[in-house]
Amino acid sequence: MTISFRQRAWRLFVTYGFWIFTTIVTLLPIWWMFVVSMRSRVELFGRPNLSLSRFFVENYTNVLTDSTFQRYMTNSVVVSTSNALLVMVLALLATYALSRYKLTGRDNIFFWLITNRMAPPAAFLLPLYIMFTRTFRLGDWTLYDTQIGLILLYCVFNLPFAIWLLKGVIDGIPIELDDAAMIDGAGLWGVLRHVIVPLAAPGLAVTGILSWVFAWNEYLFAANLTSVQARTITTGLAEFVTVTGTNWGELAAMSMLTLIPSAIIVILAQRYIVMGLTFGAVKE
Amino acid sequence: MKKRFTFILLIAIVLLANMSLVSADMHGWWADAAAPYAGATIRGVSESTPPSNYVADVLAAQFTELTGINVEFETTSWDQMYSKAINDMEANTGIYDFVYIEQDIIYSYLAQDYLVNLTQFAADNPDLAYEGYDESAFTSFADYFKNADGDLFGVPMEAFVKVYLYRKDLFEDADIMAAFEEEYGYPLAPAENFDQYRDNAMFFTAYGENMDMDLWGTTVQGSTGHPASTYEFLESIGPSFGLYNWGINLDAGSAMSANGGALDGDTAVEALTFWLSMLPYAPPEATSSTWDEVASSFAAGRAAQGWVYGENAAWIATDDSRSAVTGNVGVRLPVTAPGVIEAAEMGDGYIGYYDGGAFGVPHSSRNKEATLLWLQFIGQQSVQAEWAAAGARITHTATFDDPLIAEQDAKVDGYYTLLEEQGPLFAGAPPFPFHAQVREVIDPFIQRAILGELSPADALSQAAAAVDEELSRLGYGM
Amino acid sequence: MRNPRTGWLLLSPTLIILLLFGFAPFLYVLFVGFNQWNVFSADDGLVFNGLDNFRRLVFDDDFLHSVGLTARFAIFAIGSEVVLGFVLAQMLTRNFPGKSLFRIIHTLPLMVAPIAVGAIWRLLVIPGFGPVPFFLDRWFDLKYQIGSYPDQALWTSVIMDVWHWTPFVTLTMLAGLSAIPKEPVEQARVDGANRFQVFWYVTLPFLRPVLLTTVFIRIMDAIRTVDEVWMLAGGGPGTRFTGIYIWRVVFPRTDYGYGSSISLITLYLTIVLCWLLFIAISGRRKGEVE
Repeated sequence: MTISFRQRAWRLFVTYGFWIFTTIVTLLPIWWMFVVSMRSRVELFGRPNLSLSRFFVENYTNVLTDSTFQRYMTNSVVVSTSNALLVMVLALLATYALSRYKLTGRDNIFFWLITNRMAPPAAFLLPLYIMFTRTFRLGDWTLYDTQIGLILLYCVFNLPFAIWLLKGVIDGIPIELDDAAMIDGAGLWGVLRHVIVPLAAPGLAVTGILSWVFAWNEYLFAANLTSVQARTITTGLAEFVTVTGTNWGELAAMSMLTLIPSAIIVILAQRYIVMGLTFGAVKE
Repeated sequence: MKKRFTFILLIAIVLLANMSLVSADMHGWWADAAAPYAGATIRGVSESTPPSNYVADVLAAQFTELTGINVEFETTSWDQMYSKAINDMEANTGIYDFVYIEQDIIYSYLAQDYLVNLTQFAADNPDLAYEGYDESAFTSFADYFKNADGDLFGVPMEAFVKVYLYRKDLFEDADIMAAFEEEYGYPLAPAENFDQYRDNAMFFTAYGENMDMDLWGTTVQGSTGHPASTYEFLESIGPSFGLYNWGINLDAGSAMSANGGALDGDTAVEALTFWLSMLPYAPPEATSSTWDEVASSFAAGRAAQGWVYGENAAWIATDDSRSAVTGNVGVRLPVTAPGVIEAAEMGDGYIGYYDGGAFGVPHSSRNKEATLLWLQFIGQQSVQAEWAAAGARITHTATFDDPLIAEQDAKVDGYYTLLEEQGPLFAGAPPFPFHAQVREVIDPFIQRAILGELSPADALSQAAAAVDEELSRLGYGM
Repeated sequence: MRNPRTGWLLLSPTLIILLLFGFAPFLYVLFVGFNQWNVFSADDGLVFNGLDNFRRLVFDDDFLHSVGLTARFAIFAIGSEVVLGFVLAQMLTRNFPGKSLFRIIHTLPLMVAPIAVGAIWRLLVIPGFGPVPFFLDRWFDLKYQIGSYPDQALWTSVIMDVWHWTPFVTLTMLAGLSAIPKEPVEQARVDGANRFQVFWYVTLPFLRPVLLTTVFIRIMDAIRTVDEVWMLAGGGPGTRFTGIYIWRVVFPRTDYGYGSSISLITLYLTIVLCWLLFIAISGRRKGEVE
């Protein structure tokens, strides 16, 4: 008895020790960002101090009351949410097609889709710039500096990822379930709605969340293909680095603020990830 | 209800009439000239700096109120600014109506014929030429934005020189002075030659160590991940030893001494050797420091002396919220090798970098007329003094005499006087039709020299060879 | 019953977007890659120069060096992420109080924008205001300056990447682990398999598709990394990865022709690498099934 109690205590100790250690490592940089965001510019100097000395909220009020920041934030929310939704829908349709239909060159198409994410972005910015400013043009309107431009462009790196992630999920749904639904008289949309979407929900949710995060965090394309109207929050971060000194406090405050929406999404999405835990049981 | 409405309308009409009477005297010209363009929006791109922010926040609003022309300002980071402006002008897309032109890139832009000749354009459109705007009111810095005929291609908006800053509280402390004199046998003073600079650097580094202070003897803008290090070497340290124009002989299309270049010459090696020998006396962040981090280190009180860009002098000396050394900043000319100042006075070389920028109009702009009005507005005499006070930049000769600046001058130890009187000893970047291309080629060698992977002589001879290769690739080679 | 035409219809929006925004730019880059084109050269037009750009890059030490650095970065970062991510995911499949809190905390780094990640880590590691060099010096007498020691810069970017992306691996592994049916695992236990055997013969084969997907996505992203490392170390000698090198060639240097050809080669190498990995792993699985 005593031995097993000891073993259990030891196991508990190891488990929580592990979690506490990894949590400290994970949170330290974020904590440091928070500490920096609570310091005035002159306080940043001197020997590093990891504790929070006082609540200096000016960095936050400066950023929050700035109408530019508000516009950047709105743009980021609109662009990443629309992109995530679009990616979820398109990826679901595309993956279903790749998984269920005998399409000529299916494997090659699949691999080609993936290669779209492999392109090193720098050299591709130039053709994209030309497309955005000149090719897609209606009178004075161009894709450049528009939310829709970014929403479509982000599909280039989010779709391949989403399709690959969903491929495993949809392949895992027995085709017999589709057939059964079809025999019951369901059409294509019926099968998608009543069979595929419910069963793939956790996978779809994870796909959506990660697409959202990738879009939310993207910098290079946003910086080069927007100017004033459609600029996103990540491009705003780079503006704090200036010739006459980087405003680290405000940069950190803004980083903290950009973290909040994503953190909320993750907390809300926990439920779906938990749902993912029952996913395996469905197959039985 | 109806009565009240009529009443309000009446008041409104009276007020409007009144306003237009007032503005007829003061602002009539602007409103008249801008009438055809009222409601238009002009767009510009600039780096997010205090002078730019003043333009975006204050001057743009004033201009819009006067003319009804909206000004949209895109502020962005230093690397971004170039690529966005160049993309726009090269692809001829017309996104920007005015772009920030840093002094060092103007020749590249002119060589590619990106910019509108502003003098010519104003002459061709006399209705748009504002009489309060006078090209001859600018300091000599404006000359960098002129072509051979003296026509202006950019309206200067900021100008600085890179100066020698030192900590007055340390250099004038009686105990420290006594200790220094005892050790080195001569009195402590701001450096006037390189030996003295080295002694000061060694002394204060040792002093910081002994007193357990975070203090080092000098700044070094030695980032190994940023072109800033190459710039400090080629534009500040090099010239102060007598290495001009990056050691490149454009006529010969070469940087090698054998072909009339100087990048691998003795002067260059001497300059690089000296500069690298300062690294042990610089704060540990020096190898990660770009221009803004050098200024921050100095403002944090971590360096006793150093080479700091002039746009930072004012805030380091006066802004309590950002600087720990306010009131203790001394400003001097950078240290030079014997004969360099004399040569510069003769117009034969220069002692350091005259930095700054201007706003120009790309040919691709679709609102050139409205933009011309805008550039004249920011280039006129009457807005300069307050702008200078807010952004520590001076582009007009008359601004030096403004009481606002005279007052600031006292607080920054005569930086503005130095800029006015000794400014001509400094020079902008060499007039090459390429700029970033060749600097990018030199960067890795300077960085490897900083890391100690290459000796100064090896780094420079390899850099010179790489420059020659790039020059011939660009079509400017031998 | 399943008409391929319907399949193509379902696939078409995806194909159209990717053809427009992925393939069309690729064709442009392919075209420019065979030209000499620098807008700031004396003759600033496009000049067809055949394979010259490719010949040049074979002898370009900076490029070759960047490939080596990127390989080291990718191998060490992804290797650690997979191991750590698997361990974390495995721990998270158990039930214990506080689990969802830990899960949230361990997802947070993924939510930070790469450019902010670079900024935070720069603040952590630059001497002067960063706590890391300060405490390393005080406690262990270690000199830690990423500007002066390229190796430290490389390792710092690896650690930063691990910090940032392990949560991603954990998440996908967790999804993969939870999709494994319980029966085979229990069956194997009943048959007397030890923990390692269960892992090796049951869990791992089931996990393989997820593992594969994750590793591939991480490889692709690691090879194109720019923002974080740019912000952290600016792409100095220790961190001049291929993505950053291309950026420097294309933007400050405006050498569009050469930059395009490097991009093409990098893209080609990435594709080949992924194919090889794909074939190697799926081939081995076949062997095991038999």
